[in-house]
Amino acid sequence: MPDAHKNFSRRDWLTLNALAAGAFTATGASATPQSAPSAPAAPVSVAKVHTYDEDLVSQFRKMFDQIGGIGDKVRGKTVAVKLNLTGGNRFEGYTAGETHWVHPKVVGAVTAVLGQLGAKRIRLIESCFGRRRESRLEDKLLSGGWDVNALKNAAPVVEFEDTDSNQGQPYGTFKVAHKPYVFPAFELNHSYHDCDYFVSLGKMKNHEEMGVTMSIKNMFGVTPTALYGGRERIFHYGQVQAPAGAPAEIDPKSNRYEGWRLPRILVDIVGARPIDLAILDGIISTVGGEGPWVLGAKPIKPGILVVGHNCVNTDAVAMATMGYNPRAGRHEAPYRLYKGPNDHPPEQLKPADESFQYADNMMLLAEAVGIGSADLKKIDVRGTPIKDAMFEYEAFWKNQMPKEKS
Amino acid sequence: MGVFQRLLPLLYIPTVLWCAGPDAWIPARWQGGPLEVARRVQLKTAPAVGPEQEALENWYDPSTLRLLEGSPINCLLVTWSAGSDRDLIRRQQEVVKSYTGSARQSGAAVIGVVYPGPNAAEAATSAAAAGLDGLALDGDFPADFAAQATRALAGRPVIPILQAAPAARTSSAPLLGVEGVSPRARNLADMGIRSAPSSEPWIESNIWLVRSFRLRPGAWHPVWISYETEDATPADYPLFAADAAIAGGRWIINLDDKFRAALRARDAAALAAWQRTGDVLRFAEEHAAWRDFSPFAALALIVDPASAQADMGEEYLKLVTRRQTPYRPILRSSLTAATLAGFRAVLATELAPPTPAERQMLTAFAENGGVVIAGPSWGNAPKGEDQPYAEQPQGKGRVVVYRDPDPESVARDLRDTLAQAERGVTVFNVPGVITYSSSANSGRCVLLQLLNYSSSPADDITVRVSGSFTSARLFAPGAAPAKLQIESAQGRTEVAIPRIALWGALLLE
Repeated sequence: MPDAHKNFSRRDWLTLNALAAGAFTATGASATPQSAPSAPAAPVSVAKVHTYDEDLVSQFRKMFDQIGGIGDKVRGKTVAVKLNLTGGNRFEGYTAGETHWVHPKVVGAVTAVLGQLGAKRIRLIESCFGRRRESRLEDKLLSGGWDVNALKNAAPVVEFEDTDSNQGQPYGTFKVAHKPYVFPAFELNHSYHDCDYFVSLGKMKNHEEMGVTMSIKNMFGVTPTALYGGRERIFHYGQVQAPAGAPAEIDPKSNRYEGWRLPRILVDIVGARPIDLAILDGIISTVGGEGPWVLGAKPIKPGILVVGHNCVNTDAVAMATMGYNPRAGRHEAPYRLYKGPNDHPPEQLKPADESFQYADNMMLLAEAVGIGSADLKKIDVRGTPIKDAMFEYEAFWKNQMPKEKS
Repeated sequence: MGVFQRLLPLLYIPTVLWCAGPDAWIPARWQGGPLEVARRVQLKTAPAVGPEQEALENWYDPSTLRLLEGSPINCLLVTWSAGSDRDLIRRQQEVVKSYTGSARQSGAAVIGVVYPGPNAAEAATSAAAAGLDGLALDGDFPADFAAQATRALAGRPVIPILQAAPAARTSSAPLLGVEGVSPRARNLADMGIRSAPSSEPWIESNIWLVRSFRLRPGAWHPVWISYETEDATPADYPLFAADAAIAGGRWIINLDDKFRAALRARDAAALAAWQRTGDVLRFAEEHAAWRDFSPFAALALIVDPASAQADMGEEYLKLVTRRQTPYRPILRSSLTAATLAGFRAVLATELAPPTPAERQMLTAFAENGGVVIAGPSWGNAPKGEDQPYAEQPQGKGRVVVYRDPDPESVARDLRDTLAQAERGVTVFNVPGVITYSSSANSGRCVLLQLLNYSSSPADDITVRVSGSFTSARLFAPGAAPAKLQIESAQGRTEVAIPRIALWGALLLE
């Protein structure tokens, strides 16, 4: 039986270098798409950064230069930065920004650099309080203990918007540019089209149902709950259909298992609102889940930042620095899952198409539709080599997941 | 200055403390002696043979009174009567009688704790003979027992320690104790519960319980909160003391076996924790004027002690506090248009159903711009499973109707159903904190007290309060008041609090 905990070690990394491109694809489950030769590959920068107190402004300037620069893309433009904030609970002794949100110092540094590079307007955006009568992103930031005034002053024009509702403006319809998997289009807050350059600023961490969260998974939060309602029922489980006014899913009878469904929806979202720059904060993070509410999850200190133009390339490189095989299949870590039986609908605990819980690899799904390559052999990694940056998440999560009975 | 004049203050202070009335008593459960050991053996909770058992058995050695030096504690609850062994009770009472004399010299009042038993009736007579300052009745006693004991004690206080808060709120006893919980904060994941991302630590607190006694009419009287600590370390005791004190109550300090033994052995860490606990108690007494402040809230929470579901009302009082929405409880029997004046919202799910007069009153409240949160008996409740409540416009205001209200959901949803102005106070970045808002001078002075239940400090807190204020000061035990910067805009005031270690009190004027 394959070992779901087998991680992508330094030894594997060395082995990988000797393998032909796509070799790992063969180890994936049959449902995992094969490498798409046409999927683009762009440089990705990796850096070891041990604390949030380092000079992150200089660090990001350096990393942006390493991937070929972004100045010509942001100068005089409106830049939207989708933050990864999620739930507000804490690990004892840690702030949310340290472990499961992006850190305010990372956001501040990125904002400052974008300002230095001439961005006309920087809009920090994230979905927070779709059901609340007053939905202000600033309040969400305050709930994490952030210094909102410092962020406002990090660049000449910094704005904030909670994109969990329409904020008084019409939603925009975003069509999936590739052949869609589940949804042909999404209705999103105007901020996702009122920008010239779009950044996904995510946390590099595990995820209970999806295996990992990075720049692609961060995009799940662009869907406005004020329109769609609770995301679990419509997107995770497909228990309800899209509300009137929102594009319906292509096949309401398709597989409802979230491990099959959600990775495909994530790729559809990225196809609808493409990412121009992916930034991943793994200086401090969470292993074993996406936050302290997940049983067994705990804080870790990988000390890693990853930056790239292409979200699939960037997530693939980040995943390798986490000690995982970026081309892993359903039955491999981190995609072979254990979900608590008390916390998920019974049908989500037993997929119809497998004998074990899984999530499909969203990077391979994105690669298959041509968004970007998840093949490390094709990606030019700059800055710190992967083998020197690597922090093996699974090694810090040993014995947390219940072992399967043989 | 002569010697006598220099000593005069020293003579005066204990006398003042001893002479202080029951409202000034700061209690500690001071269990010990042979009877206490036997009681614990019977309960199968006796400490193991060794220092802990020795400390319990010999606690009435006068040397333990050294713990009162420099401490505000001035009322000791000693083991007086329990079980059926007359000889043992007599021996215990001889030990306690001797100790009482020494305690008096230290300025402490001595209250005998009586547990149910065949000899309980004699306890009052013997207590009067021994000159105790009163009795505390811990457990279930016959209905007329307290009155009999009061007569035997010639008017000295008999303090019932009641298990159920609703019964305690209707008690006519001028001083009473009520069973509380051992305070702490725990992450749900640490309790084996996979929660939602929006979940917050589960905080066990008695703040709501103490403030619920403000429903009783009249001037402030202390409520004593009684509980045995759970998994406590000495460092937790200042939190326990503050938890009761914030809303004007007093924890009956209850030493666990390890802490008692460590204190008896004069362990430095234990003594430091004891000192910090004293600092908290002193801070509470230094700011006794805060107890006369009224609850500051834009939300009225209607409670109905006569309801068949009175337990549900208790849950609302507890859980709305936990979800950081300030409220003022209003008895259903005192609900009038006048009592609702000044509120922005009313939580009325306890009116199930409202009477025609109540419905008319609440409708008028909404018509005038208020928010009414009601249960399904209001009508037009949503039917879909994924829609727990529906909002209905009503004149200048609205009615929020729940399909099947439960206190946890309603309390959590208040952040969504009410705008910030309708909540009055919003506090950011306080997952391990419980707050209590009160005011004086017709709202010109607002006090927001914050108690941090986490073992880590609470940092980078932002407080947003409806209204304009020109001064913000932060008070904390053992620290000088700190002036904080104020930002005012759009009829509200915002203050940033850098850090709260345990108890912080933000006074806005």
